[in-house]
Amino acid sequence: MIKVKNIKIRELNIWERIYIPEIIRGLGVTLRHLFSNLLNPSSIPTISYPEEKVLLPGHAKERSRHRIKLRKDGTPKCVACMLCATICPAKCIHIEAGETENFVEKYPKKFDIDLSRCVMCGLCVEACPEDAIIMDTEEIPGGAKDRNASYGKDGLYATKEQLFEKKREISTFGAANRLANEFLLSKERGNRND
Amino acid sequence: MSFMPKIKIDGKEYIAKENETILQCAQRNGIYIPRYCYHPSLSIAGNCRMCLVEIEKMPKLQTACSTIVAEGMNVFTSSEKVKKARKDVLEFLLKNHPIDCPICDQAGECYLQDYYMDYGLRKSRVSLNEKVRRGKRRQLGDYLILDNERCILCTRCVRFCEEVTKTSELFVANRGDHSFIDIKPETSLNNPYSLNIADICPVGAFTSADFRFRQRVWFLKTTESICLGCATGCRIKVQHNDNTVYRILPLPNEETNTWLCDFGRMTYKEMYSEDRLNHITIESQEFGLDLDKVFDYIKEVKPQEIAVFLSPNLSIEDNIALYYFASNVLKTENIFIPSLPERKIEDGILKNSDPYPNSTGIEIIANKLKLKKDEKTSEKFALVISSLEIAKTYARDSKGIFFSLTKSDMNGAIVPMKSYFENEGTFVNWQKYARKTTVSVVNEKAFSVFDVMKRLAVLFGSNSFFSSLKDIEKFISSNGIDKEFK
Repeated sequence: MIKVKNIKIRELNIWERIYIPEIIRGLGVTLRHLFSNLLNPSSIPTISYPEEKVLLPGHAKERSRHRIKLRKDGTPKCVACMLCATICPAKCIHIEAGETENFVEKYPKKFDIDLSRCVMCGLCVEACPEDAIIMDTEEIPGGAKDRNASYGKDGLYATKEQLFEKKREISTFGAANRLANEFLLSKERGNRND
Repeated sequence: MSFMPKIKIDGKEYIAKENETILQCAQRNGIYIPRYCYHPSLSIAGNCRMCLVEIEKMPKLQTACSTIVAEGMNVFTSSEKVKKARKDVLEFLLKNHPIDCPICDQAGECYLQDYYMDYGLRKSRVSLNEKVRRGKRRQLGDYLILDNERCILCTRCVRFCEEVTKTSELFVANRGDHSFIDIKPETSLNNPYSLNIADICPVGAFTSADFRFRQRVWFLKTTESICLGCATGCRIKVQHNDNTVYRILPLPNEETNTWLCDFGRMTYKEMYSEDRLNHITIESQEFGLDLDKVFDYIKEVKPQEIAVFLSPNLSIEDNIALYYFASNVLKTENIFIPSLPERKIEDGILKNSDPYPNSTGIEIIANKLKLKKDEKTSEKFALVISSLEIAKTYARDSKGIFFSLTKSDMNGAIVPMKSYFENEGTFVNWQKYARKTTVSVVNEKAFSVFDVMKRLAVLFGSNSFFSSLKDIEKFISSNGIDKEFK
């Protein structure tokens, strides 16, 4: 059922209904802005992009650094389902799956991204069913702004440890993460039943 | 002449066989009806309700897998009513499914995923937290892992254990929506055909412990080959990726096999064992991959004192290469075949009493080329050329050139041999079916027997040896060996 709500519209008074004085008042606003912009051009909020650019703080615009999110207990959210490695057009993600003790059963024993091959398309983030891999703002070594970058393999080859995000969070997305949460909850309660 | 009922499926007329079910008739004519519990080699259960079809003049939908065809039947397999039924059945089956596809090894070859994409595509009305939870992973036997949560209770596994292996380890415990697959107390699921259960399980409830988490199935490439575990010579699918074999599945065929035994499935592991030989060993010294060293080792021996044993472990082509090398290059008459065990199916399913894959093949070669069967094993030769397994019984103490996959402490030159996942060759099984292995993976650190014989023939100064495998094929057909094959 759609609820119907009646709204009363205020009736216009006689001054407004004459119409012409209101037009003149509107023109007045426009003229005020015209003259203030003419006399003080530096106050104009519009910028003429792309000739003019405003820099955002840090690398706020960039999404080039891969991260793997962690669960509350510090284990990676990634369950090595290989969907990112499957969709990756540059074939730069190398995962080896292993078996864990907790409910999730599966974890990435090895998770390497070859950043020298990565095309920063972000498809891995789109494909991830567990919301585990993200791309954040940190500059990757050897990027355009990193003048002192060494182009060595170590800098561009992100291993599991480097990909792990520092922040830990309760994850709600994805079935395997639900299992992980149940596992953590039961561990907190002290009655582990697997 | 038996009665052949005429039936109509989706408006087209087909002639069915007597006592055939609708599903079988449709399958034969290229119409696919979705199914979970139906398996061509097992009895019919009719419990998954996925194969429901509409039949004219029948008030309710019928299961295609259990309805026998009748004259004049008019079947609709994709009417709106059927589509709706499939969608609803699928929703029921997925109701308590954990949807843990990211950690499930079945993902990619799962009937639930396939049919959901084909018929379902409905958002679940049960939230993840409301789903009924059952036990997650549980190891049953050496090779199988059971996940009751993913199970849809099609009972294919129960029927397999009852009807094929006749061991009946599994049963459905409890009733109604409490039922789950369980193993009988104080038994373990260790029958020699247990891994077939992982194959026939349409969902991820039974998965292989050996293949667990090693590779996602959509990365795997398949080559058709044959199993060399015994003389039965089952046809197999070798699944591999990045030059590594990951698993072996049966390739069902009417002549030999529907299933595949666990032993046969594990034969690929010999390739990746720590003992795998990847250099020539002569008298416990390693020599890389230089075949000239093998020549140096045998050149002092008089050719008449060299004996060649054809091996039931090697393919027809490699055995012919051995024979031809002995008769045309060495010009020795000491060409033997070892005495071979009797061939018969031991357990009524697949396992043969003869552990060698090519016994029938070398018997045919011996008959056609009039070779001696060696009974006098005590007779000593200065040097023996054969595969390592044969040499172990016939040339324990003598010098020799032995072809082997794995390291050994035998006295002599041990040459690393390509396994038949890495090399092609014809094998003749106990029913005389000649089948070819195919190259699934490449190995640069081993030789095929033919390569070794060709190189040694050159070093012996002979130019009459086969130049390629095609020449061997010509030799086989010119001597009438292939006429014996089926």
